[in-house]
Amino acid sequence: MNNVTYAKLCGGVSLVWVLGLLLVPPFAEIVEQLMLLFLSTNAR
Amino acid sequence: MLKAILQIAGIFVLLLVLTLITLTLKNRNADGPSVLFPGGALVSGELHAGPDPDWSFTDDVFVIELQTNSPISSRRIFVMESDGKVYVPSGYMRSFLGKLWKEWAFQVEDGSSLVVARINGVRYERDLQRISDPSVVAGVAEKLAQKYAGGASPEAVAQIEQSVADGDTWIFEMAPRS
Repeated sequence: MNNVTYAKLCGGVSLVWVLGLLLVPPFAEIVEQLMLLFLSTNAR
Repeated sequence: MLKAILQIAGIFVLLLVLTLITLTLKNRNADGPSVLFPGGALVSGELHAGPDPDWSFTDDVFVIELQTNSPISSRRIFVMESDGKVYVPSGYMRSFLGKLWKEWAFQVEDGSSLVVARINGVRYERDLQRISDPSVVAGVAEKLAQKYAGGASPEAVAQIEQSVADGDTWIFEMAPRS
């Protein structure tokens, strides 16, 4: 993937991701649960 | 091939950074915490007045919301009743992630002990007091193991007691404010 295409992809994915976190509460909760699982497993 | 791998990894790093920034900003002034990110002041819900309730009702409560005051922030936390008193734990206190994640516990230890707890929609003004008395820790450890560690086996309780003794887990009593 060339750099311009990659940058556009990153921009699009970022926009969708942030809007999902802000506007779709279940999505934000799922993401947080996954992060909590990672922290609980790896916090040593 | 390497470029593709780096590009994929870059997207994951980007999403992680965006998640941390977005959810931190979204929650920091909210009325209460989210699953992982601290919230702001607990403003809604009846403010309990009068004598302490029978805290045994917390046996059916998985997490409560706890607001510390300096600075004002709130988080979800486990709760245990033992011998008529109510306690909250803070684990991972000696790990690197714990030092980042559990800043509130260090602030309480440093003197910012006045808190507000919200349990089943009711707010309680309390004063967190860290406990270390082994006889008290034993009872709290048993309830902690029973509620959150799959059962109060002697091994599970002993592991929690050792964790408290080592300083990895801190236990605070939510005492009445004087």
